[in-house]
Amino acid sequence: MRRGHRFGVEALRRRDRVADRGAADVLMALRRPVESLLSVALRRVARQRPDVFERLGSFQDASFVLAPDELPVAFRLAPRGTSGTVRVARRADPAPCTARIAGPLASLLGLFDGSIDADAAFFSRSIRVEGDIQAVMALHNTLEAAELTLADLLGLAPPASELANAGLRLVLRRVVIRDAAVTRA
Amino acid sequence: MLRAAVEAGADSIYCGLRDETNARNFPGLNFSPDELAEAVAWAHSRGAKVLVAINTFARAGAMGAWRASVDAAAGARADAIIVADLGVLAYAHASHPDLRLHLSVQAAAGSADAINYYEQAYGVRRVVLPRVLAAPEIAGLVRDISIEVEAFVFGGLCVMAEGRCALSSYATGKSPNLSGVCSPPEAVSLEETDGRLTPRLAGFMLDRFPPGAAAGYPTLCKGRFEARGEASYLFEEPTSLNAMGLLAELRNAGVRAVKIEGRQRGKAYVARVAAAFRGALDALDRGETIESYEPLLSNLAEGGRETSGAYRKTWR
Repeated sequence: MRRGHRFGVEALRRRDRVADRGAADVLMALRRPVESLLSVALRRVARQRPDVFERLGSFQDASFVLAPDELPVAFRLAPRGTSGTVRVARRADPAPCTARIAGPLASLLGLFDGSIDADAAFFSRSIRVEGDIQAVMALHNTLEAAELTLADLLGLAPPASELANAGLRLVLRRVVIRDAAVTRA
Repeated sequence: MLRAAVEAGADSIYCGLRDETNARNFPGLNFSPDELAEAVAWAHSRGAKVLVAINTFARAGAMGAWRASVDAAAGARADAIIVADLGVLAYAHASHPDLRLHLSVQAAAGSADAINYYEQAYGVRRVVLPRVLAAPEIAGLVRDISIEVEAFVFGGLCVMAEGRCALSSYATGKSPNLSGVCSPPEAVSLEETDGRLTPRLAGFMLDRFPPGAAAGYPTLCKGRFEARGEASYLFEEPTSLNAMGLLAELRNAGVRAVKIEGRQRGKAYVARVAAAFRGALDALDRGETIESYEPLLSNLAEGGRETSGAYRKTWR
């Protein structure tokens, strides 16, 4: 297990508003099926694309927290090949992790399928990164090389896969246009 | 990423092998020799060329990795290798006489005498110019050499003496010139408190960005430091090169190929930048203006700002 980091947990707790706490309680109560779905998807990708995990090298043992801004919960990813897991945790979960990546859900999905440029998202402060930057770079470069899509993660076959990917592209195009408008303003 | 560049209209793609022999030796990036051969075959099937960067400086007594990379590139039928080190050039020239050699920007060859030496001694066929020359200076240089000239037109900028920067080495023990990494990620930390972002490199605080302010790469050269009570960018500002507006001038100066920096960027960046420059170059070929292409890339820039760099030396 890699060295873990604890990130501003007190600050995160302060931001955990009462309304969010209620929503978090509901999502935490329902987390098991989500965890199961995402972990199965991760392991399926590991079986179908072992090259993806080989490229991660020693960072297969890392644990990444992915925290969408819109959700009161975060996702804890442990990419250990065919035994990889995805867990749902509260945003202010104090458990250590290797790195934490936070930002709008659409940006995180765009980083997953490579349709959003990670450096530009960092420059514009759209995404926020803390912890082991080497692990974050390894994850980013691995995902870029893998050319995975949302449909790959969900295990969808055509035509559902085409619909899912087209839907994500539509959402992400809006994110790119919005970011460009912000930069030019 | 290579596929994204070709599909966006790039004529050639430069890439590296997964080790210290190229200047982007970052985790998860680059090709194994087998992957390189596969990528070259795919690119050739689409009419594109692959140029392999073997552009770090070999360590004394440890040439093995650099020679292996040259052999791997030749074995993969790469169209050229991009080299800076004299020993690596000598090895490639002697061992693979049919392998086309390009002189890397890392060699910092900015005079006709230097470039002509590389051509005569090692058969170098193209020079990638250091980013220190103004467009009229390039025109003057081209008149005195007989090999092709390639110039960077978009992407990150380094402190001016290419291949000679020791800032990363001073702070972390690793440098782009020898280890293939500038500001190695294991030495970088990013701390965000109340929306203020503080990047550090090996403990050196590089800047403190207020909430919402555009950030730059966590390198010492882009750091903002306090001297005599005033905070300023002592080396250079976090700004990206965009010389699209100078494409016609560079072409008239004799530049044969333009280069887009960003091997550590993603395919979204590569596709957008390559498509924009493809469109601009094609527009120039048709005798049209390229103004409509110039604002397409503004939100990709480091620090949210762009410059035409030394090509237009406004400080003179």
